[in-house]
Amino acid sequence: MSAGTNHEHLYWGVDCGSTQIKVIACDGDGKVVHKRIGRTLFPLLEHVRNTISAGGSGPSPLTEDLLGVKENHTLAATGYGRNHIEFASGKLTEISAHFLGAQQLLQLDGPYTIVDIGGQDSKVIEVHDGRVGQFVINRKCAAGTGAFIEELAHRLEVPLSDLTRLARLHDKDMTLNSYCTVFSGQEVIKILMNGERLENLIHALYASVVQRILEMTSITTQNVVFSGGVMNFNPILIDLFDEKLPDHTTFLVEDAQYCGAYGAALFARGLAEKQAENFSQSEVNVRLAT
Amino acid sequence: MDMKRVMKDYFLDLDQASKDPERKVAWCTSVGPAEILRAMGFEVFFPENHGAMLGATRVCMDTIPKANAMGYSPDICSYLTSDVGAYLKGITPLTKAYGIESVPRPDILVYNTNQCKDVMHWFEYFAHEFDAPVFGIHPPTHLPEVEESHIADVVKQFEELIRVLEKMQGRAMRREDLQRTCALSKQATDLWAEVLETAMARPSPLTFFDSTIYMGPIVVLRGTKVARDYYRVLLTDLKIRAAAKVAAVPGESKRIYWDGMPVWGRLRSMSELFKANHACVVASTYCNSWIFTDFDPADPLPSMAYAYLKIFINRNDQYKEDYIRKLVNEYSIDGVIFHDAKTCPNNSNSQYNLPSRLRKGGIPAVIINGDLCDLRCYSDEQSSTVIEAFVETL
Repeated sequence: MSAGTNHEHLYWGVDCGSTQIKVIACDGDGKVVHKRIGRTLFPLLEHVRNTISAGGSGPSPLTEDLLGVKENHTLAATGYGRNHIEFASGKLTEISAHFLGAQQLLQLDGPYTIVDIGGQDSKVIEVHDGRVGQFVINRKCAAGTGAFIEELAHRLEVPLSDLTRLARLHDKDMTLNSYCTVFSGQEVIKILMNGERLENLIHALYASVVQRILEMTSITTQNVVFSGGVMNFNPILIDLFDEKLPDHTTFLVEDAQYCGAYGAALFARGLAEKQAENFSQSEVNVRLAT
Repeated sequence: MDMKRVMKDYFLDLDQASKDPERKVAWCTSVGPAEILRAMGFEVFFPENHGAMLGATRVCMDTIPKANAMGYSPDICSYLTSDVGAYLKGITPLTKAYGIESVPRPDILVYNTNQCKDVMHWFEYFAHEFDAPVFGIHPPTHLPEVEESHIADVVKQFEELIRVLEKMQGRAMRREDLQRTCALSKQATDLWAEVLETAMARPSPLTFFDSTIYMGPIVVLRGTKVARDYYRVLLTDLKIRAAAKVAAVPGESKRIYWDGMPVWGRLRSMSELFKANHACVVASTYCNSWIFTDFDPADPLPSMAYAYLKIFINRNDQYKEDYIRKLVNEYSIDGVIFHDAKTCPNNSNSQYNLPSRLRKGGIPAVIINGDLCDLRCYSDEQSSTVIEAFVETL
C-alpha cells in the first residue's frame, strides 16, 4: 500500500503520555505506515491533533479535517491522557497497550515480563498464555521513572543525551538508597560535596532506577521485554538489568518508545473488526495474540 | 425510611442531648461497645463517622494540615488528623449538612483497640481537650482464634466500664436494658448482613459505594429501633431489585472485591469509574466489618466480647486470607482490589503478601495506593489506570 491513500483503512494508536505524545498508524497487516511524536503540552487536544497531523514520516492522511472521517480511520488512545481524546473510537490502558505492542512485535512463545519505564510511572507486566496476568505500577514517588532521571540530570546540569555515555565511564559502583526523588537529590549533593566523580554518580543514579523497578515485584519469567522511551534513550539501563538478571533473556522492543502507541493501533484494528459496539477486550487480545 | 432523614434525626438529637444537662453523651469508636453505652442511657457519637464525613466532603484537606502543623504526623490515621484539625479550626461538616454548630461535647470517651491503637491517641487528645474521662478497652489483638480466655479478658473490661458508667449515671446497669440494646443490635446487624448479601445476585442490586452510604445507621445507631427498622425497609427494597434483576452497574460483567478503607473523597468518581468499565464492586471487607451475628441477648457481655474480638481487622493474616477466599466464592468475584491506605496500615491488608498468596491460588489481585481521607496520598490518574487495567485483564 502507499501511505496516505484515502482508500486504505488505517488504524491509529495515540499514546498520550505525561511528557510525550506518540502516534502510530498501521495498515490492516499491522505494518507501521506513520510514526509521529510531539510534546505533551496544553491545551492537550490541540497538541494531540498537531502531533497526528504534522511532522513525522511524511504527510498525514489524518489531518484535523479528516479526524471525523470514520470509514477510513479508526483511532484508539492510551496513556494518561487517553480519556481526554474525545475523537478516539476506543481507549485502553498503557498496560494492555504495551502488552499488545510487544506481543505483536516479538511474537514470543511462553510467559514473559514487560518492563516499561515511562515518564512518570514504571510498570512491570507479567504475560502468561498470551494475556496479561499480574502487573504492578510504581508507588507514589517518581524514583524509578523517567522523571527521576530528568530531575537529577537537571540538578547535575548534564544533558539527558549525555547521561548514558558518562555512566559508562564509571570506575566505581555506588548506591543511592532513597526511593524518594527529593531525598535522592540530597544524597547526590552530599556525594558530590565529598568529591565523588560525576560519572560514578550518574551510574549510581541508573542503578537505583533498576533497583527501584526490581523492588516492585519478583520477575519469575525467563524472558524479559523492555519497552518505553526511557529504555530506548538510556540503553545503559538494559546493561544494568542484564547484570541484575543474569539468568534471564532480555529483549528491547523495536522502537520501544512507540510500543504503547503501536499496541493502541492494533487495538484500534481489533475494534474496527469487532464493529466497535460489540467489541470484547478479551476477544481482541486473543485475536492479536494468535 | 429515608436515609437522609435517619441521619439528620440522629445528629439533631445528639446536638440536643449535648445541650441538655439531663442527658449525657459518650464518644465511642466505630466497633466499640455502643450497646453498653446506650443501655446506660448515653447518647453515642462516633468520631470515625465524623472523620468519614470530613473525608467525603473533602473538608479534611483543610483540616489535616492544621493537625500536622501542631505535631500530628501526616503518616498517622487521617481520620484522627482530619478530626483534630477540624476541632482546631472550629469547623464541622455537620454545620452545612444539619445546621449544627459543633460536634457534641463528650461526657465520656470510650475506645476499643480491636481496630487499631490510633483511636487511643485520638480519644486521649479529646479527653484532655474536653476535660472528660476516657476509658479504653484493650483486647487481645490479631488473633488466629478467639479463645475463652480472650472473651473473659474483654468481659472483665466491659464490667469495669459498666462500673464507671454506673458511677456517672448514679444508677446500676439494668440487665434488661443491655439485653434490649444487644437484641436491637443483633436484629440490625443481621439485617445489614442480609442487605450486603443481596449483592450475591447477578447482576448485583448494589455496589460497595452504595453500601458505604447505607452503612450509616449500622455504625452510629446500633442498639436502636431506628437502625433495625431502616434495614428492614432497605432489605425489602434490595430484594425486589435483585429479583427484578435491576443492576447497580448496568451491563455488569466483572465482579470485584474491595479490601481496605474507601477513599472517602473519591466515592463518586470511583463509583463512576467502575460503572464505566462495567465492573461492580459487590463485596468488601470494610462494609462487612459491622456484621456482628454472634450477639446473643440472652448472654450479652460474653457474646459482645466475642463478636467484637472476632472482627476481621482484629484477626491474623491466615484468617483474613481464608475470609476473603470464602467471600470470593460466595459472591462470584472475578478479582480483588486492595486499597493500601497510607495512613491506615492496620486496615490495609496488602502489606504482608496477601495479594500474592491469593494470586497463587488463582484469584487475581491488584493494589492501589491511596488513603481514606488524605488526598495528598492519592493519585486519581494512577489509581484509574490500575483499576481500568485490572478490569481489562480479568
